[in-house]
Amino acid sequence: MQMLSARWLAFAAVALAVGCSSRDDRLTITIWHQSRPAERELLAEEIARYEAEHPGVRIRALYKETEELRSGFQAAALAGAGPELVYGPSDVLDTFHTMGIIRDLGPWVPEAERDDFVTGALTFLPARDDRSRRDLVQVGDRFGNHLALVYNRRLVPEPPRTTAELVAIARDCTVDGDGDGRSDQYGLVWNFTEPFFAVPFLTGFGGWVFREPESTPPTPGLDSPAMAAALGFIRDLREVHRVAPANCDYELADSLFKTGRAAMIINGDWSWSDYLAIPEIDAAVAVLPVVDETSAPMRPMVAPKGYSLNANATGPAADVAMDFVRHVTGDEAQRRLVNRLRMLPARRSAWEDPVFAADPTLAASRAQLENGRLMPVATELRAVWDGMRPSYQALLGGGLAPDAAAARMQTDAERFIDAMHRQLEPGIAVPILQALGALFLAALLVWQWPTFLALLRDLRPNRTAYGFAAPAVVLVFAVIVFPFFSNLVLSLSDMSLTRFRNWRVVGLQNYAEVLSDPRLWGLTGVFMKTLVWTAVNVACHVSIGVLLAVALNGPVRCKALYRLLLIIPWAVPAYITALTWRGMFDYEYGAVNLLLGRWLGLAPVNWLGEPLRAFEACILTNVWLGYPFMMVIALGGMQGIPQELYEAARIDRASRWQQFRHITLPLLKPVLLPAITLGAIWTFNNLNVVWLVSNGGEPQDSTHILVSYVYKSVFNLYRYGYGAALSTVMFLILLAFSLVFLQRSQATESVYR
Amino acid sequence: MKEPRSITLVRHAVLLVFVAVSLYPVLNVVSISLRPGNRLRSTDLAIIPADWTVASYVQLFTEQPFLTWLWNSLVVSGLVTLTGVALASTAGYAFSRFRFIGRKATMLAILTTQMFPATMLLLPLYILIARLGLVNTWLGLMIFYTATALPFCVWQMKGFYDTIPPSLEEAARIDGCSRAGAFRHVVLPLATPGLVITALFSFMTAWSEYIVAAQVMQDEAMFTLPLGIKSFQASLSSQWGLYAAASILVSIPVVAVFLALSRYLVNGLTLGSVKE
Repeated sequence: MQMLSARWLAFAAVALAVGCSSRDDRLTITIWHQSRPAERELLAEEIARYEAEHPGVRIRALYKETEELRSGFQAAALAGAGPELVYGPSDVLDTFHTMGIIRDLGPWVPEAERDDFVTGALTFLPARDDRSRRDLVQVGDRFGNHLALVYNRRLVPEPPRTTAELVAIARDCTVDGDGDGRSDQYGLVWNFTEPFFAVPFLTGFGGWVFREPESTPPTPGLDSPAMAAALGFIRDLREVHRVAPANCDYELADSLFKTGRAAMIINGDWSWSDYLAIPEIDAAVAVLPVVDETSAPMRPMVAPKGYSLNANATGPAADVAMDFVRHVTGDEAQRRLVNRLRMLPARRSAWEDPVFAADPTLAASRAQLENGRLMPVATELRAVWDGMRPSYQALLGGGLAPDAAAARMQTDAERFIDAMHRQLEPGIAVPILQALGALFLAALLVWQWPTFLALLRDLRPNRTAYGFAAPAVVLVFAVIVFPFFSNLVLSLSDMSLTRFRNWRVVGLQNYAEVLSDPRLWGLTGVFMKTLVWTAVNVACHVSIGVLLAVALNGPVRCKALYRLLLIIPWAVPAYITALTWRGMFDYEYGAVNLLLGRWLGLAPVNWLGEPLRAFEACILTNVWLGYPFMMVIALGGMQGIPQELYEAARIDRASRWQQFRHITLPLLKPVLLPAITLGAIWTFNNLNVVWLVSNGGEPQDSTHILVSYVYKSVFNLYRYGYGAALSTVMFLILLAFSLVFLQRSQATESVYR
Repeated sequence: MKEPRSITLVRHAVLLVFVAVSLYPVLNVVSISLRPGNRLRSTDLAIIPADWTVASYVQLFTEQPFLTWLWNSLVVSGLVTLTGVALASTAGYAFSRFRFIGRKATMLAILTTQMFPATMLLLPLYILIARLGLVNTWLGLMIFYTATALPFCVWQMKGFYDTIPPSLEEAARIDGCSRAGAFRHVVLPLATPGLVITALFSFMTAWSEYIVAAQVMQDEAMFTLPLGIKSFQASLSSQWGLYAAASILVSIPVVAVFLALSRYLVNGLTLGSVKE
């Protein structure tokens, strides 16, 4: 049956594809890119220009967000498909190259032409098979991503040149106008949550993220005295000088500066044009100051952005794709890039464009780039960020001293790198595993054989039932069967960063690691949190939903209006409302704290900065997102309850509570049970809310539930085998829950039988 | 039916509190959509910012293919809703009324499809889509959305059928109605609230999904609304004004669908009106 349906699907798909495809016999090149809005326009223009010159070619550009591009490209490349070109910053290149999903561009960029590019614009990595040879993995078309100081000239006439001046100016510009103890204007803001924004402080105090001289593979160098000094300086800015808000993420810093409530901001080149366009703040860009203690400049990380070629792209498609790359990195296109976007070009000749002399922002950008440090192209960098983040946040939360934070960053980063590079050796021999599997299937077959025979006998007399059920059941299984088994096989495999395409089945090690992880199963571990998360959410969804349905199910005026307004949390996309809730939980400016203070006189709660509070914030948000759905179901269920029952109850002088308890609830049960069961399963697996409200598990990775933990441990550390094992374990937990819950609640039975 | 005043007051109090709680965060989204300069956060509680502008809404219709995305989404969601309702109403009936071999096992098995975290299935799903040649087709999306929505819909329909006394159909069959006829003319009308919920849920599944859509759709002209909206998001430089404006507009069809369907949710034939 499943084979049949798969074939049918394939046939229908072909029919539809043939029917829909336009008559376009041009060679199509697809680019997945991470360009920002203004950059997309220029890219579209360059594509149009190229297509006009090459009538036989069609170039299709598709924007993908950072994570989407990374995971999507990995999946597509593994399936033997995907775009010919990927465009983005250089930080993922080592990963793609190690996985073997991008090609060496050497043949398309002859040695003689390489000097036309600025140092660092072409990214090389040691070849996978022969470490003495170098592969060209990316041709850059621009530099950027560097942080600099942006200041509001209305408040800061001259930018600071040293950190002492920075502190002095910031202190002068931090103002509490109405004397309520809260600053109405801050001296200096930046994104506290991302360690990337701490790098200039680190380099200014003489440190670097990796040990120097850099080895291959690099080792983290986070426990240096320079790091402790930099962290101490950052802490003092907030706690001693009080020039920055207590909590500040990217969006808050951005909004404060845009509305003139922050005198200076540390932000990257992508943000500057927005600031310069706001007339009220008169923004200007300056080079980051020199640290007095070391006399060294604060140096931001700099990275090229550019094109890489999919390993699956061959023949004419590869040649045409690389010809397009040659076009966008040519002199004319590069000058257009500088003039239009004010970005720093990859081609040497474009640096001589007159616009550099005319534009002070471009000049500042160039100066900052020249004292920046090239971002290392190493997969380990991701582990460094992940290692830095929790301790950095703990430091800012006041829970950790600078040197202790630096030490913990180092051990965490080392632990992540170990996990990332862990090689699994085949444990139980594969034949034994196969034999066990076969044995299990055989036992199942023998055990269920009578049922199977009964099923065959049952097919004819019960054909109406099977006919009614089959279409839905077949469709559901057709979609899930392959992913289900592929996940099962992957969970027994060593699929990881270094064994991405050439993974093999190694046995049960992943399961052993999952089951022995104290972070998961401890009393305060992720699993317990997931249980609390699920139970509290579902309980609140159901009780609020039923409460509202009961309130609506009576002689109420404006019933239709109420009903409509109450489903709105369900109707608006959760992606934006979850982010709105994050804003509402802000310590200083969030609506929740302001209302708590104004109405109840409570002290502000540090919702997003304290582990338990952040978890509560996630739960509150998810409760809000979920009750309308339960309300709708309860409303529908109540329509099926015969009014006569209530009339009879009133004659018997039953109280309202008794009527609810003995009539409404029991008759709602069959309708609510599926929603509760599935609601529990969905809540258990709900990644979005935790991810958006607590910004991926912050603070200190303390708000994770199982699914966000899997997401983080798999996608950040490329441990696909481990992730598959953990998802299988989660699947088994949910299966056990459903079995018990459905058995207990008699959900498969009918009320009338 | 007259109620004591106090009860009416309690009803209104509960409803008003929750209406306020429901609306406030959404009003914040409206506020973001009216702010110039891509500001996600605000430092005051004003819903209508002092420097408000409808530029984001204008831009959506003039500079972005918003209407194309809207049309694509309407087509996909509409078809998924129809298929979902058709398949779930029949399958749910089978699970509710018939006792056949494998009934319980199958019911549990279709639940299991919801038990894997979607992000983990990304890789095999993509391989499946690519192998079946469904990349960049509507059919690919529709199959996945229907299959995703069905487990809940089937169970929900089964739950609704369970609340309808079988004696009603038996009476109809004694009167000469066929089994299928009794299903169509007696059971389905009584299960209208279930059909409405099934329809609403199928619609929402297709309307708001984007992970699978991002894998399937490779042409901006074929994007559904969630994909289009996601393209306003970029790491550290999202176009929050457009993002919020589009989110508000996206919810209007949902509200409209609900408005159209909620008539049946509330005034559907109740058992009370059917004399046994």
